[in-house]
Amino acid sequence: MQIEFKGVTHTYQEGSPFQSTAIRDVNFTVSSGEFLALIGHTGSGKSTLAQHINGLLRPTSGQVLIDGEDIHSSGYSKKTLRQKVGLVFQYPEHQLFEETVEKDIGFGPRNLGLSEDEILERVQEALRKVGLAYDEFREKSPFELSGGQMRRVAMAGVLAMRPEVLVLDEPAAGLDPMSREDMLQLIRSLHESGTTIIMISHSMDDVARFATRVLVMKKGTVAMDGTPADIFLHADQLEEMGLDVPVICRMNNDLRRLGLPLPEGIYEEDALFTALMQLWKGGENHAS
Amino acid sequence: MLRDMTLGQYYPVKSPVHSLDPRVKILLLIAAIVAVFMAGNMLAFLPAAVYIFFACRLSNVPFNMLLKGIKPLRFIIIFTVVLNIFFLPGEKVWLDLGFAKITQEAVMTAILYALRLVLLVMFSSLLTLTTAPVTLTDGLERLLSPLSKIGFPAHEMAMMMTIALRFIPTLLEEADKIMKAQSARGADFESGNLMARAKAMVPLLVPLFVSAFRRAGDLAMAMEARCYHGGKGRTRLHVLKMHKNDWLAILSMAVLIACVILIGRL
Ligand SMILES: Nc1ncnc2c1ncn2[C@@H]1O[C@H](COP(=O)(O)OP(=O)(O)O)[C@@H](O)[C@H]1O
Ligand SMILES: [Mg+2]
Repeated sequence: MQIEFKGVTHTYQEGSPFQSTAIRDVNFTVSSGEFLALIGHTGSGKSTLAQHINGLLRPTSGQVLIDGEDIHSSGYSKKTLRQKVGLVFQYPEHQLFEETVEKDIGFGPRNLGLSEDEILERVQEALRKVGLAYDEFREKSPFELSGGQMRRVAMAGVLAMRPEVLVLDEPAAGLDPMSREDMLQLIRSLHESGTTIIMISHSMDDVARFATRVLVMKKGTVAMDGTPADIFLHADQLEEMGLDVPVICRMNNDLRRLGLPLPEGIYEEDALFTALMQLWKGGENHAS
Repeated sequence: MLRDMTLGQYYPVKSPVHSLDPRVKILLLIAAIVAVFMAGNMLAFLPAAVYIFFACRLSNVPFNMLLKGIKPLRFIIIFTVVLNIFFLPGEKVWLDLGFAKITQEAVMTAILYALRLVLLVMFSSLLTLTTAPVTLTDGLERLLSPLSKIGFPAHEMAMMMTIALRFIPTLLEEADKIMKAQSARGADFESGNLMARAKAMVPLLVPLFVSAFRRAGDLAMAMEARCYHGGKGRTRLHVLKMHKNDWLAILSMAVLIACVILIGRL
């Protein structure tokens, strides 16, 4: 499944004195199996862009194509689209509403018109994926869970739709360090099992660890698009936009500035370690 | 979706009318209403119409924003006109329908009433278009505060109104977000019969109430943490002061009332 943005512009409240253009002429293509990280300063239009992927927002101009078809053409089924592209909003636990965890997760599949058996199967599968025991949680009220558990239940509610593409808006925001790591591992395992991931994130360290591709947004436009290695080569540009670079990347740059002949664009711990070991061994050889 | 609704109808631009003291604007509106009711013949509406036209120009609000305020009231206006035309008594009969007579006096009175309504709506719209809701409640509180001597809770009323107004956009934004989140799970808010649609509101309303209560709790806590204890002994950050423009506005209204009275005598 391929998602293509073609010159997408979105203006909120067009024609009123409050109108504001959140994204402008956005072009990119995402293919199956990618792990795309969407980064950018607050207000740069990341969430707006994300809501175009499953057709919640309609471009003011431009097109969103899925496998070559315009999702806003009259023949395109919104229901199929919402099933194929799952969207997990920021603080998704705020959307929980049912009396029990089981019913809440079943909301999506029920909207798809599935049979009760199928719904049950999907609820169980979704809970298993997010690491919560079905027997323990099914009868609980979503409102009596801890923050991290609520977030996982909300996430399960989207996974129960069995989306091919999962769009996540800052999925780790506001979680404690442990829940945060669990959430990221969950997303990683979903990616490994074949789901295309598009993740909005503020943490460059997370991006460096997981993403196969990075899209940097700046004031509503795409400022950079490439692999993490490409992007982190331009550490100074990122910092200009008020964005961080991963700790390892910063360390590598600092060491290079101090005169160590390290290669450019290292952003992973292992890679830096290997490079340093090589230098050290090389140095030893010289000395002997 | 929901956020596209323009709420209240404040039109945020800069103008001398916007920056008038809200108390003055409220009192001027009352004066204008009195003036419009005093106008006894058609000609006497002319100064009021001229006044509202120039006030609108001065406020940088497009004139058709004022006209928009009339639209929801058009049925009431038409209804009044029709009733008056058919059922007011008069001398000069223009048309005799048997069950009712249409007289010159009735037609004139009907037009008078219609003009009166239109002008009233336009004057009130100008107030809400040029005054932010919070400023408006502030002005109202100040005008009503003498009544607190006889036990009227002016400050509490104003604080409640201010908080409610402050949270309307927040709640709309929240509702919009929840609606989108449920739509992403395949919820359908737009089709189906009345029953189906009412049921579709549950996934929206439950989270909305949960968040409204959470916010209310947080707000109460935050206000108490900053020692809020009601209106007694509170001083103000923005002290309302009368400026030259306020006096000019009052003067212009006095002129308008004088004109209306004079022309009414003719
Ligand atoms: N529903 C909305 N109505 C009006 N303006 C909005 C709305 N949502 C976002 N915006 C504006 O659009 C811009 C981009 O916002 P957003 O997409 O949320 O950015 P990000 O997720 O990168 O922080 C911001 O300036 C924001 O104020
Ligand atoms: Mg956002």
